Amino acid sequence: MVNALDPQNIKNFSEASVSVEIETEDMTLNIGPQHPSTHGVLRLVAKVDGEKVHDVKPVLGYMHRGYEKLAEVRTYPQITTLVNRIDWVAGFSNEIPFIAGAERLMEIEVPDRAKYIRLILTEMARISSHFVFNGAYALEVGALTPIFYAMEDRERVLDLIESVTGGRFHPNFNRIGGVKPAAGAGPTTKKNIQDLPAGFYRDTKIAMQKVIEAADQFQNLIGGNEVFKKRTKDVGVLTPEIAEAFGVSGPILRASGVKSDLRTQTDYLPYDQFEYEIPVGENGDCYDRWDVRVKEMVESAKIVLQAIDSMPSGPLQAKVPKVIKVPKGRTYVRAENPKGEMGYYIISDGGLGPYRLKVRTASFSNISILPNLLEGALLPDLIAIMGSLDFVLGDVDR
Amino acid sequence: MEDFFNNIKESFTNAVLEFETINIKVDSTQWIETHEQLRDEFNLKFFSWLSAVDWDNDVSVGEAPKESVTPCFELITCLSDVENTNLITVSTTIDKSEPHIDSLVEIYEGANWHEREAYEMFGISFANHPNLEKLYLPDGYEGNPMLKSFELISREVKPWPGDVDVEGMPEDSESGEPVDG
Repeated sequence: MVNALDPQNIKNFSEASVSVEIETEDMTLNIGPQHPSTHGVLRLVAKVDGEKVHDVKPVLGYMHRGYEKLAEVRTYPQITTLVNRIDWVAGFSNEIPFIAGAERLMEIEVPDRAKYIRLILTEMARISSHFVFNGAYALEVGALTPIFYAMEDRERVLDLIESVTGGRFHPNFNRIGGVKPAAGAGPTTKKNIQDLPAGFYRDTKIAMQKVIEAADQFQNLIGGNEVFKKRTKDVGVLTPEIAEAFGVSGPILRASGVKSDLRTQTDYLPYDQFEYEIPVGENGDCYDRWDVRVKEMVESAKIVLQAIDSMPSGPLQAKVPKVIKVPKGRTYVRAENPKGEMGYYIISDGGLGPYRLKVRTASFSNISILPNLLEGALLPDLIAIMGSLDFVLGDVDR
Repeated sequence: MEDFFNNIKESFTNAVLEFETINIKVDSTQWIETHEQLRDEFNLKFFSWLSAVDWDNDVSVGEAPKESVTPCFELITCLSDVENTNLITVSTTIDKSEPHIDSLVEIYEGANWHEREAYEMFGISFANHPNLEKLYLPDGYEGNPMLKSFELISREVKPWPGDVDVEGMPEDSESGEPVDG
C-alpha cells in the first residue's frame, strides 16, 4: 500500500502528468418548462458532456389547447376569436389567412379599404412582434437595457392597434368579407358605418417614424455591441437545405440566404402596391437572424407609411349572408406572419363550421430544427440559438 | 400557377386546381415515390406540413358530413418551392382498420414531428419512423383526440355555449338574407 502522507510519495504524485483524456459520463440537463427564455412552456431535455451539448429532445404539449378539434365544433365567425390566441405576440396576423381562406371558398371580393386596413394592422403586428424579439433576445444573451426601450416603443404601436380594434393583443377584428367597424369611432349604428378613429393617420406617421428610429437605435445598441457580436456571430449556423427540408420559414429562412417572402409570392393582401425590400442574411447564424428582423421592422414601417398615403376610400365590408355558410370545397391559404409561414387548410362540407381545419404554424416547424442546430453546440450558446428562433409556445402547440 | 399546374398535370393526370390550391391524389403504395418525384423533379423542397382527416358518418362532436362518405383516413401533405408561388397538396387514403403508411422522414426530415402528431391524434402508424412516440399528449393518455368518434366529456354534460349564436337573435326573422355590414 502506498502511504499518501509520505513526503516522497507526495512529490511523485505532484510530478505525475496526466496523459489520458478524461472521459466523463453524459449528464442529463432538464431545461424548462418554466425557463424564461423558452417564451412559454417548452421543455428541453439536453444530454451534456461538460460544456458540450450532445443531444437535445424538445418536449412539447404544455400549451396544447386543441384548436383543431375546437374548430370542428365552432362556426366560421367564432373561429377568428380562437386563432387570435395562437401566436399571441402578433394576434392580428393569425386571423388573416383564415379569413382569406373562408372568403376564397365563398368567393367574396373584399373591398380595397378593408384590405388596406388589414395590411396596415398586420404590418403593425409584425413590428410589435419584432420589438418583443429584440428586447427578449438581448435579454437572453445578457443585455438588460434594450428590453426597456423595446417595450416602450412597442406600446406606441399597440396603442394604434388598440385604437382601431379595441384590443391590444387579441383584436378579433376581421370579419368574413371585410373588417369590423372600428372601435375608436364611437357607437355603432346601422346608418352610421364606422371607420378608422380620428387622428389615426397622424399618430401612425409619428409612430412609424419612431419605429424607424428605434430600429436604428437597436442597430447601435445591440448590433454594435462587441459582446453581442461575439455571442451570436457564427453561432447556430443553419443551411438553406436543412431549413427547407424542415419547413423552416420566415426571417430564419431569409437569414440563411433564401429570398423567400410570401408577401410577394402570394396575393392574400395587396403588397404588390408598395415598394419595400426583403432583407436577406448571408451566414444563417444567430446574428443574421437578429439582423434580418431589425431590418424588416424598417421595411414594415415603410409599407405602413405608403399605405397611409394611398388609402382608398369605400366600404369596409362586402355583402355577405347573415348566416355564414361556406360552400363545399377545400383550400390552403398561407401568409407571411412575423414568425414565418402561417396557413390554414380548410375542408368545408357546406356547413356552418369547417369539417376539418388544419392550422400550419410557423414556430412549430421552426423549432423542429432545434435538435439539429444544438447538436455539438456549447451550453452557453443553447439559449442564444434558441432565442434567435423567436418562437412562441402558443404558435408551437396550438 | 397555371404553368406549374400544366407541368404537374403531365406527370399526374388526376391533378386538380381548385380554389387556387393544386391537389393530387395518389395511392398509399405510391406515397414515397410521389414525394421523391415532387422534390427532385419539381423542386418542391419545402416541407410545409402533414396532417390527416378522419372521414366518418358517425360523429360524436361537431356535425356529420352533409353527404355520406366512405369511412377512411385521408393523409395530406403540403409541399412548396420557397422561391416562387408553386405549391401542391398531396393526399392519399388509408383504411381505418389498418392505419399504416410509410414514413416520409427519409425524404423530408421535417415530416418527423408532423407524423408524430398524426400518430397520437389519429392513431396512424408510420413505418420506418425513427422515433414514433407521442408529441403533445402526456404519457399514458388513452385515445386519439382528433378522431370524430372521440367524445369530449365536458360537452356531454353541457352543450356548446356557442350554439346560441348560430340560431340568430330573436328579433331577426329573415336570417340568411344579405345585409350591409
